Amino acid sequence: MSSEDFRSLLPLLILAAASILLLVVIAVRRDHRLVYYLTVAALAAALAASLIPVEYSPRTASPLLVIDGFSLFYSALLNAAGLIVVVLSYTYLRPLREQMEEYYVLILLAVLGSVILAASRHFASFFLGLELLSVSLYTLVGYMVRSRDRSMEAGLKYLILAAAAAAFLLFGMALVFYEAGQLGFSGIGKYLAEAEALSLLIITGFGLIIIGIGFKLALAPFHMWAADVYEGAPAPVSALVATVSKGGVVAVLLRFYSEVDGYQFPVLALLFSIFAAASMLGGNLLALLQDNVKRILGYSSIAHLGYLIVAFLSGGAMAAGAATFYLVAYFITILVAFGVVAHLSSGEQEAEKLEDYRSLFWRRPGTAVVFTAALLSLAGIPLTAGFIGKFYIAAAGAQEGLWVLLFILAASSVIGLYYYLRIIMAMFASAKDPAQRIAPLFSGVGLLLVILTVALVWLGVFPQAMLDMINEWVAG
Amino acid sequence: MLENLWLIPAIPFAGFFILAVLGRRLPRVAAAWIGTGSIGLSALLAILVGIRYLSAPPEGYAFRQTLWQWIEVAGFSPSISFYLDSLSLVFILIITVVGFFIHLYSIEFMEADEGLKRFFAYMNLFVGAMLTLVLADSLVLMYLGWEGVGLGSYLLIGFWYQEPANGYAARKAFVMTRVGDTAMALGLFLLFTSFGTLDISTITAAAPQQWRPGDQLAVWAALLLLGGALGKSAQLPLQTWLPDAMAGPTPVSALIHAATMVTAGVYLIARMHAVFELAPSVMALVAIIGAATLLLAGFSALTQSDIKRVLAYSTISQIGYMFLALGLGAWSAAVFHFFTHAFFKALLFLGAGAVILAMHHEHDMFKMGGLWKKMPVTFWTFLAGSGALAALPLITAGFYSKDQILWYAWAGERGNSWLWAAGMLGALITAAYTARMVILTFFGDMKQEPDKRPGVLIKIPLIVLAVLSIIGGFVEMPHNMAAVHLFSDWLGTALPAIHVEESLQASEFLLQLAAAATVFAGLFIGYWFYLRRPELAASAHRSFAGLHRFWFQGWGFDWLYERLFIRPFTWLAAVNRADVTDYIYTALAKGNESLYHIFSRTQTGQLRWYAFGIGVGALIIITLIAMS
Repeated sequence: MSSEDFRSLLPLLILAAASILLLVVIAVRRDHRLVYYLTVAALAAALAASLIPVEYSPRTASPLLVIDGFSLFYSALLNAAGLIVVVLSYTYLRPLREQMEEYYVLILLAVLGSVILAASRHFASFFLGLELLSVSLYTLVGYMVRSRDRSMEAGLKYLILAAAAAAFLLFGMALVFYEAGQLGFSGIGKYLAEAEALSLLIITGFGLIIIGIGFKLALAPFHMWAADVYEGAPAPVSALVATVSKGGVVAVLLRFYSEVDGYQFPVLALLFSIFAAASMLGGNLLALLQDNVKRILGYSSIAHLGYLIVAFLSGGAMAAGAATFYLVAYFITILVAFGVVAHLSSGEQEAEKLEDYRSLFWRRPGTAVVFTAALLSLAGIPLTAGFIGKFYIAAAGAQEGLWVLLFILAASSVIGLYYYLRIIMAMFASAKDPAQRIAPLFSGVGLLLVILTVALVWLGVFPQAMLDMINEWVAG
Repeated sequence: MLENLWLIPAIPFAGFFILAVLGRRLPRVAAAWIGTGSIGLSALLAILVGIRYLSAPPEGYAFRQTLWQWIEVAGFSPSISFYLDSLSLVFILIITVVGFFIHLYSIEFMEADEGLKRFFAYMNLFVGAMLTLVLADSLVLMYLGWEGVGLGSYLLIGFWYQEPANGYAARKAFVMTRVGDTAMALGLFLLFTSFGTLDISTITAAAPQQWRPGDQLAVWAALLLLGGALGKSAQLPLQTWLPDAMAGPTPVSALIHAATMVTAGVYLIARMHAVFELAPSVMALVAIIGAATLLLAGFSALTQSDIKRVLAYSTISQIGYMFLALGLGAWSAAVFHFFTHAFFKALLFLGAGAVILAMHHEHDMFKMGGLWKKMPVTFWTFLAGSGALAALPLITAGFYSKDQILWYAWAGERGNSWLWAAGMLGALITAAYTARMVILTFFGDMKQEPDKRPGVLIKIPLIVLAVLSIIGGFVEMPHNMAAVHLFSDWLGTALPAIHVEESLQASEFLLQLAAAATVFAGLFIGYWFYLRRPELAASAHRSFAGLHRFWFQGWGFDWLYERLFIRPFTWLAAVNRADVTDYIYTALAKGNESLYHIFSRTQTGQLRWYAFGIGVGALIIITLIAMS
């Protein structure tokens, strides 16, 4: 391994080394604050390291991993999301009586697994990254065993279902390997290009891989775990499930598909179209009259990944750019949303009922405004990041003529608007009893939420810089 | 200096926001001066920009400033840009300078009104929107400004909202102009489908290449845009809202319903002249509408007793002249008439306002009279404005601009004797009703003592505008008098010049003589009927009572529309009380709700059921693959 290989792998190495270092530190002394700072430092370093080695890229660091603009962009995005989740977690966890130090190790490992997925060019690293991510998430979802009873249930459900999905995925990989004799993406692509007749088995293999991916992205009909897990997990972990776990999988899906040219199989496109349509409609309809804000966000994430699959399916020049921009917009937005939930949660009790948000504006105007911005962005209202993301998807889809999917996207967005507005209306409803206005607590989380909200509006108003960056790094 | 262009609309908007947000905490005087100061600052900037533009013209005589580009995706790149050329420069100068003096006047006029802060907030909002309209580089931004001025106009007509009639007038203006706006929006869609952009300079450059003269699409585009212009500029058949708009405070009438907003239609047609030139039939229609409107409104003005309604009909009539010029292809003549009209019509409204204020909000001219000795400044300035309105030869601005239109109606390539005759008849009526207005208000017996003398803040705007009404026309002289054509040279960089039939050149002097004679004849009629032999007017009134009422009510358009549109519509609304279309949406909502209930039953929380979901997915996948 040359020193340049080493440097290009730096983000992965930092995350791996930091998790081991943290274990050592915890073994010596349990200190929540120290572990927190070390985690923040590790993620910040990995984030910085993702932005630096762009000059060495593209670089095939090993048969398993490739470091190029694409994987570096995703690495930066995932690390940034991980960093925000960690900051949200610290204030969320402090009042709880748990052993919280290992929590941070698990977050580091989840981010590492996701970054591996983004850099993966081989079934081995694909599966390794996915499992590293999943195993950390099982534990994280069920982490609040002592304080919340539903946490364990959610963790177990997630574990069992994810294991089943992973089995399908592995079987699919095996089928592909059986036919192609290759595990590397490019090798499979080459086989497909040269093979004269393709057996049904290899396409079935791809189909089974879709199950694994569909489960992770919570596409309908593999979506049913989502709401339960989002509800049961601690709010910062729900944010992690919504962002880091989805981002890596989207990245590996984009790369795998472009390397093997999956667009050549109409039946796979049909499958994705069915799942995207079902997710958009199902996710939005399931959230419609839901009274639990965390479940609403869970269902909404199903719909949003459905939208993203529309961008992915467009397959044209704009597909990767549109999907990536959507993901960036979605990351920022959903982090703000779960950030507000985490911010309002106190110790044992999470602020998850719609009732908890009633007349929030009159009690905590700043928080209510931030949450409103996030919900409007989720609904795709102009001048927010969410609108530009959706517009970009629509433009990509229209260029490829995906009219049916675009129609469903538009119609389901309208349905979606209903439940986002329900929350907003609850927040602005006038208080029955003149509850005393809580003096805004200036906290790190508050500041972070404000920064993210500014970013959310900034991306909605001046999106061009981000679009250019994505075009240069990801699509280029 | 040109880089400061964006500040010109931004400052009035900033004034609006300050007044809207801090209004309650500001003292009244401060609010009034913030409102006025923002327009003053804007006017100063506009003048500086104008000087810079004239002394060192930008390349191609146009300056474009892009403030913000939103996105650039798949060839779609909406941006906000301003575009300054000689046409928009004339408009911003008029809007800010005349606007400033009207604001100054309002400080005193609205002194005692409890809604003073609200008034200045709305006025600033209006000016900002109007400046956006004329500076917009794309039709989308222009439409934004267009609707913004509509909103400002609505708010200000209904300013004294406690009176239900005022609210009705405001709604009437809003709805009537919306009829035109709908046509205009359709026109924008048409232009977008044809050119793939709404960028004005791109469209005007591409239109002649893409469309041949008389092309069906060009005709439709021009017609639809014309619809918008007719609504905003109160031209036939959408003119009925303007007389009622006089319900607003008088400075509002001066600024919005005389000097600026109502000329937006003129601006739109001049700006899109490239499209209109490709539709000769629509051009002819514009000229005919202009001629018909100027006559109809002129006759109505002759019969009004409310001084503001006289001025309102006179405004409709004068804009009719501008439309006539536009239809003739005499672009710069239309803008020239806008330029002089803004001065003298604002002046007349402000003068009328001063009289009304002195007479305890009395609008009826028959209850005034003999005021010229009591209110000398108001009288002399009003006289200057009236002279300009009547187009008193040589010494007033109105003469030069109107003469130009009449000349092109006769000798222009699209002119004909009918249009010219209509213009001449209009000039006669204009002079007559102007004389009638001045005589009834300022001469004869005093019926009521004015108790309030205008203060300095009212006098300054009156004097300044009176001076401008006199000298404003000297920038452009008829060819046979002096070689002064600053205005048309200036506008020539943005608008094409009109061709004149060579053979008719010789008759220009004769036509001028005829026009002058017409004006004097009209003035004499007014003098004879209302000062010398008032009993003649009264007996004429008696013997033609039906005709008088017909004209007084604006040719029965309100009556007609009431029966043609309003009653059937309210009838339909009453019949459809339990809105049928609502059932569709209720059904949709209910359907979605029941879908929610069905789907949420799948969320059992049971693991085996969730695993079954994965199994179903696998089944779908394998089945579809096996079938392929």
